[in-house]
Amino acid sequence: MSREQNNTIRNSINAKLIETGERERLREALQLKLVECGWTKEVTAHCQEIVKKRGFENISIDELVAELVPKSRALVPNQVKKELLESIRLFLAKQNNL
Amino acid sequence: MKKCTHIDSFLSKYNQSSSENFEQNQAKKKNHLEKIISILLDLNHFGKALVLEKEDASPTNLKYLKCEQVNNSELFCSDDTSRLHLCAYCFYIGCFSLTNRCHIEQHSLKTGHNITLDAVYAAFYCFECRDFQYNSEIDALLCDSFNKASYLPHGKFSEWEPCQKTLKILKKYHQLNPNFENSIPVIKSFKIKSSSIIGLRGLINLGNTCFMNCILQTLTHIPSLRDYFLGDQHLCSFSNKNNDKNICLVCEIVSLFQEFYSGKKSPYIPFRLLHQVWTQVKHLAGYEQQDAHEFFIAALNAIHKNFVENDINCKSLNMDKKKFINYNNCHCIIDKIFTGGLQSDVICSNCNNISTTVDPFWDISLDIFKSSGKAGRNSLSQVFGETTRLEDCLQKFTFPEILTSFNCSNCKSSRGAKKQFTMKKLPVVCCFHLKRFEQTNRVHKKISDHISFPEVLDMSPFMSNKSTNPNYTPQINKDLGGFDNFNFSNRRLQTNKYFLFAVVNHHGTLESGHYTSFIRLRNDQWFKCSDHIISKASINEVLNSEG
Repeated sequence: MSREQNNTIRNSINAKLIETGERERLREALQLKLVECGWTKEVTAHCQEIVKKRGFENISIDELVAELVPKSRALVPNQVKKELLESIRLFLAKQNNL
Repeated sequence: MKKCTHIDSFLSKYNQSSSENFEQNQAKKKNHLEKIISILLDLNHFGKALVLEKEDASPTNLKYLKCEQVNNSELFCSDDTSRLHLCAYCFYIGCFSLTNRCHIEQHSLKTGHNITLDAVYAAFYCFECRDFQYNSEIDALLCDSFNKASYLPHGKFSEWEPCQKTLKILKKYHQLNPNFENSIPVIKSFKIKSSSIIGLRGLINLGNTCFMNCILQTLTHIPSLRDYFLGDQHLCSFSNKNNDKNICLVCEIVSLFQEFYSGKKSPYIPFRLLHQVWTQVKHLAGYEQQDAHEFFIAALNAIHKNFVENDINCKSLNMDKKKFINYNNCHCIIDKIFTGGLQSDVICSNCNNISTTVDPFWDISLDIFKSSGKAGRNSLSQVFGETTRLEDCLQKFTFPEILTSFNCSNCKSSRGAKKQFTMKKLPVVCCFHLKRFEQTNRVHKKISDHISFPEVLDMSPFMSNKSTNPNYTPQINKDLGGFDNFNFSNRRLQTNKYFLFAVVNHHGTLESGHYTSFIRLRNDQWFKCSDHIISKASINEVLNSEG
């Protein structure tokens, strides 16, 4: 599958998610899951470490985000990723049947 | 964070003393800042989130608030549309993103308003410095306002903490020499340790009144109810004009709470309360054994009635709203704490027309069914081990059931329908009543099966907005009321989780039995209350009790 096709599919899925409001629901569910499994606490701890290391005066939000994002992405437990993927799959299957 | 001069210039904008005098300027500045704060408070009740548990701040109340340009076809809102910012100058609301072009940035470029606030966390962002900023003056004002906001009386209760002024006064009196001849009375102050057992007190059995005692024990340990009554929130307008034997029942309850939390260790004799209940609820009078659940409902009814008639706040609130005072629209504390909404959906199997009603409830009465012997008939029983669980009873309660004799108002057929109960609105305190007293063929029996219940109960699977599997379950004969009662207290209103804090058990048979209750104190200690005997209990004892 070419990159173009990939992109168009991705965009249409996204649009469908947004217009049915499913995206918001998934976001909220994901937020809850991440808090429950302790991910939020871990990321907060990392964030505090980074700020302590660099010094309060020397860091800006963009730098903080740049450092934090890849690490936090990796910290998301596989189970949560799987569940989210599964929810999206179910949603798409339902859309197909309608 | 490099020091930002732009915030200072934003603040000093209201400090120009050229045209107006200084005080007017200060007021103007304060006004503008307070306007910002009130907008934020209106948007979401995150005053608490900010002060207490930041990581749990979930902006669910921002749902109805969207970026002002959400329908502008030129520029789509950035992906993460729930990150909203409020312009500090003109209160424009726009979506925010660090990486993409966002509407609030567009607004800032257009108008030169370079200071904005994050709508959830109230953090200031400066578009010139491209960074979040911190300013101690504003921060102090924000914290102060949010603290005050959490004390707002619109149906919100929080525990009373003495403010600095009160603390100073208390300390001053505490230091006064008690022998000093002084017209100011010395106030004795108590310091309550975290391990204290204040609030525990035995109740004397006045002749088979254990049914009343165990309910009173649970009522006195509901935190919101306790805070309400001890916080003097009941203003009584009752006057003994007719000189009859009635007194205001709510005032009696207030005295009960005061007695319980007075620190006295001797068992209390609630004779006035009992007399009032007998006077106002005739069918409970007498010295025979009564059903505790009946008493519970009757007591709530009586308290509610007395509230509606006697309490000044309740009356004025109810009149304000001009609503019909039935017990799901009332503003008394009983309704606020105990009332939940039970949704009943009936789906006609012919025309699929759904008729929905929502009924208020104060407790949930659950049937007990035996799990053994029905294996293979439905998937539920295959999951069971030996004991039935409370969640299973709840699941059964919310399963769709088939109605055979049903007349549809839409299609006029009587083919039958499916009926399902779900929870529309959860109460603050949720009471479960297990129907243990069975009446089949004129024989009264008590079901003594142990029903296991959890310490933390999640009601999410039983809520109305979740669809359940349409499994067919065989109908169980409705059993007559018996009683076992659980009170759960919902601490975090954002979730559907309940924490167990009281269990009432019935021991013995239908003819002669005894009620006891288990109570959890603030510090998570459990106690067993059997009339005037209070003993320490372990959580295992509680969970293993009959239920």
